[in-house]
Amino acid sequence: MSSLEKISALQRNNVKVLGSGIQPMLFAHGYGCDQHMWRYVYPEFEKDYKVILFDHVGAGNSDNNSYSKEKYDELLGYSEDILEICEELDLKDVIFVAHSVSCMIAALAANLEPSRFSKLIMIGPSARYINDDGYVGGFYKEDIDDLMEALDSNYLGWSANMAPVIMGNPDKPELGEELTNSFCRTNPEIAKHFAKVTFLSDNRKDLTSVVVPTLVLQCSQDIIAPVEVGQYVHDNLQNSEFQILNATGHCPNLSAPEETTLAIKNYLASTTQ
Amino acid sequence: MSITNKHSIPKGKVTETAEELYENSPCGYVSFLTDGTIYNINRTLLSWLNSTKEEIIYVKKFPDLFKIGGQIFFETHFFPLIRMQGFIQEINFDIVKKDRSSFPGLINVNEIPAKGKNPLTYRATIFDITDRKKYEKELMAAKKKAEEDSHAKAEFLSTISHEIRTPLHAILGIGNLLSKTHLNEDQKEYARILLLSSENLLGLVNNLLDLSKIEAEKVELEKRDFNIKNMVKMLQQTFRVKAAEKNIDLLVEMDENVPQELSGDPIKLSQILTNLIGNAIKFTKKGSVSIIIEHLETGSNESLFGFKVCDTGMGIPQDKLEAIFQEFSQASYDVNLEYGGTGLGLTISQKLLHLHKSEMKVQSIEGQGSEFSFEIWYEVNENYSCPKDKKISTEDRKILESSRVLVVDDNPANIYITAQFLNDWKLENESAKSGFEAIEMLRKKDFDLILLDLHMPKLNGYKTAKEIRALKLKKQPILIALSASERGEINYKLKKAGFQDHVPKPFQPEKLLEMLVHYLHNPDHQEMKKYPLTNLESVEEMVDEKEIQAVKNTSQPQLGQSPSFNVSKFVKMSNHNALYLDKFIKSTLDALVTYEQEFLDAVKANSTEMLGDLIHKSTMSMFYIQADNLSKLMEEVRILIEKDVTATEILQKKSKACTAEFKKIIEGLKKLKAGEILAILD
Repeated sequence: MSSLEKISALQRNNVKVLGSGIQPMLFAHGYGCDQHMWRYVYPEFEKDYKVILFDHVGAGNSDNNSYSKEKYDELLGYSEDILEICEELDLKDVIFVAHSVSCMIAALAANLEPSRFSKLIMIGPSARYINDDGYVGGFYKEDIDDLMEALDSNYLGWSANMAPVIMGNPDKPELGEELTNSFCRTNPEIAKHFAKVTFLSDNRKDLTSVVVPTLVLQCSQDIIAPVEVGQYVHDNLQNSEFQILNATGHCPNLSAPEETTLAIKNYLASTTQ
Repeated sequence: MSITNKHSIPKGKVTETAEELYENSPCGYVSFLTDGTIYNINRTLLSWLNSTKEEIIYVKKFPDLFKIGGQIFFETHFFPLIRMQGFIQEINFDIVKKDRSSFPGLINVNEIPAKGKNPLTYRATIFDITDRKKYEKELMAAKKKAEEDSHAKAEFLSTISHEIRTPLHAILGIGNLLSKTHLNEDQKEYARILLLSSENLLGLVNNLLDLSKIEAEKVELEKRDFNIKNMVKMLQQTFRVKAAEKNIDLLVEMDENVPQELSGDPIKLSQILTNLIGNAIKFTKKGSVSIIIEHLETGSNESLFGFKVCDTGMGIPQDKLEAIFQEFSQASYDVNLEYGGTGLGLTISQKLLHLHKSEMKVQSIEGQGSEFSFEIWYEVNENYSCPKDKKISTEDRKILESSRVLVVDDNPANIYITAQFLNDWKLENESAKSGFEAIEMLRKKDFDLILLDLHMPKLNGYKTAKEIRALKLKKQPILIALSASERGEINYKLKKAGFQDHVPKPFQPEKLLEMLVHYLHNPDHQEMKKYPLTNLESVEEMVDEKEIQAVKNTSQPQLGQSPSFNVSKFVKMSNHNALYLDKFIKSTLDALVTYEQEFLDAVKANSTEMLGDLIHKSTMSMFYIQADNLSKLMEEVRILIEKDVTATEILQKKSKACTAEFKKIIEGLKKLKAGEILAILD
């Protein structure tokens, strides 16, 4: 819309375009983190794809001034941002790799503009985190209040108290020195709102209309998205494959990047003629 | 035993193993594998947890030590971070003991890289921070409360600005229309001053909000051509009446070589000068106020101009000269009593000058007068041509004459004003007073474009738009939203509701015309590019606490009625006239009776929206009768409903308290007799 002067989506979402390929591969980070969480995964795709990284508004180095409680009161607000990024970069045939809550953001974006995406890779998706009549999401509503408390009690720790420090990466010298404590910083109020929007969201109805072929990657022992939840997502998507990783926890892209990368590569190879 | 006996301690016989140190260290130690499985834990931590080694090692995972919220936090924040940077310091988790009770722990974790046979592991230290947490909680509660208060105040200011802008819209609009009718020379002049002054007022209202924006560094200088001589003339005329009332001269001295046409931000300059001249007149009892403008320097394409406003007023004590630029400070308490004012003018002016990389200077001699001066660089515009009334091209004329517009607004004055402009542009138009009426009309008749007010009772603009978009029409109309809201954030909502664009109220006629022409020419509803609107940036109005305090301080001493409300503002507004005072009280009483019912309905329906509307529309009544307690209660009830704690006793209790407060005020107002109040006072 023209009435509001706004900054470009590329600036707003701190978009980085890397890689030497043509087909775009867009990586969307999940709740609690920023684009850095793809650091062990995206380099594997730089040779063959055009890699696009970004931060959701409110996370990482996105433009916090663009945050509005109204717009981001539902996941659709984030989906809209992604479509704007795609439009500004004129991306076509996008392989959309999404982690955690971004999986549903991706589903919504794919429903809005199905032709924009060629494949979705969902890592640890959940269509609804809260248990519901006959549906297992893994959480009770009260658990989310408990999360709010945990966020509140780390108000200082997560935002202000941690001064960025420069340090090397002895394990991964290729990464060089960087501002270490600069990862995943969020404005505490935004983090709380995003948490609520994420964990109280219910996108079960949106799954069935996704027509883009999808790979669902499920971790073993993930409390955020248990196996039943991933299975549910897979069962309700029109055209999906389901794969359980050996990786445990919620972030296989960090705990088991090789396995995650391989799974994505295999899927892309098997589905491309 | 004394120290001299130390030799009797057998050397080398006391041994202490690392294991002992580990087990009994004053902090908890725990080590875990990449999947979280705990493989080592020290005795200190075990005793805190009330568990045995067997219950923990290779049985529990590290996040199992936390409450559920902590577990989510661990998976979404903690783990990603430690994987990326190899350590994490001072994160607070509630640690759960065997009996499910918990204590706050402060956790540091280091990644131990794989080495030889050892895989990658993590080692955590845990401190019990129960005491620290207690203090932290109190501090956090105090901080949260302060932030909430400040937020409530920001909301209040935003609402007030909305309330001011709505009538201003009417004044500006009518003034515009009036100036287009047949008037004699005097009347023309009056209408012109009316227009100029109300525009100036609108600018001031906007700029008052700017103060908070400036502080949030959200205000930028605009650049446009302006005629400085006209501006000064306008200022002179605006203040002429005031000066004449006080029998002081208002003088303007402008260097001959000050060019007419400059390029810069005229609104900011005008605001600074308005502040200074207004102050000068206010504080001068006899003599004169002079505005002096000098051309000081000529640069390559910019020139430096000096501005001075001098008065022969009371002056400012030397020790107060610095303080006057601070918010809400006037030279003395008595000054505030005698002259009133918010004490914001100079602060805003100073901040506006800082934006210009300039500074206000002041010289003053008590009893003789003051001189405020500043300098600004402006570009001199050589090729300046006088702005002419925008002529409508034949092509545009054609499209205007062949289109039909529907104006939807619950306020008849707004409809009237908008319709007058549309008539003027020969644009066929009709009006509807509600969303329902608009939808009915659309079913019967085609419209090319609809101007739709957002803030309407029952069916608001968003809902109306959605319903219109759901109608099966031959051709969907273009939807343009009209709103007096000063806040942003509605962009996404507008788009979702189906609007093409948005015009702020009060609108500038040329801009509305420009927009109408654009959209009528583009039946496929393409968005208009680059429509510059300055009042619509997404604003977080961080209002200084003191600002509201200043508003509150204007209340008069209590008049001995129920402390729930106070009619002193009405007494002042009525100018001690019993008839008026009676009217104020009666109309407020009527409103309160309606509000009470609406409150009950809203609570019954569990609707934050209804309650929000009620709070919004009752703001002014609450403000006039200073029913702070009732406002507070309503807001609390709204928050409770919003937080979805509808079933709880606390909501019932609060609603009851709120109803009781309504009753108290209504009864109190009923008992009031204007004559008696005034008799006590006079």
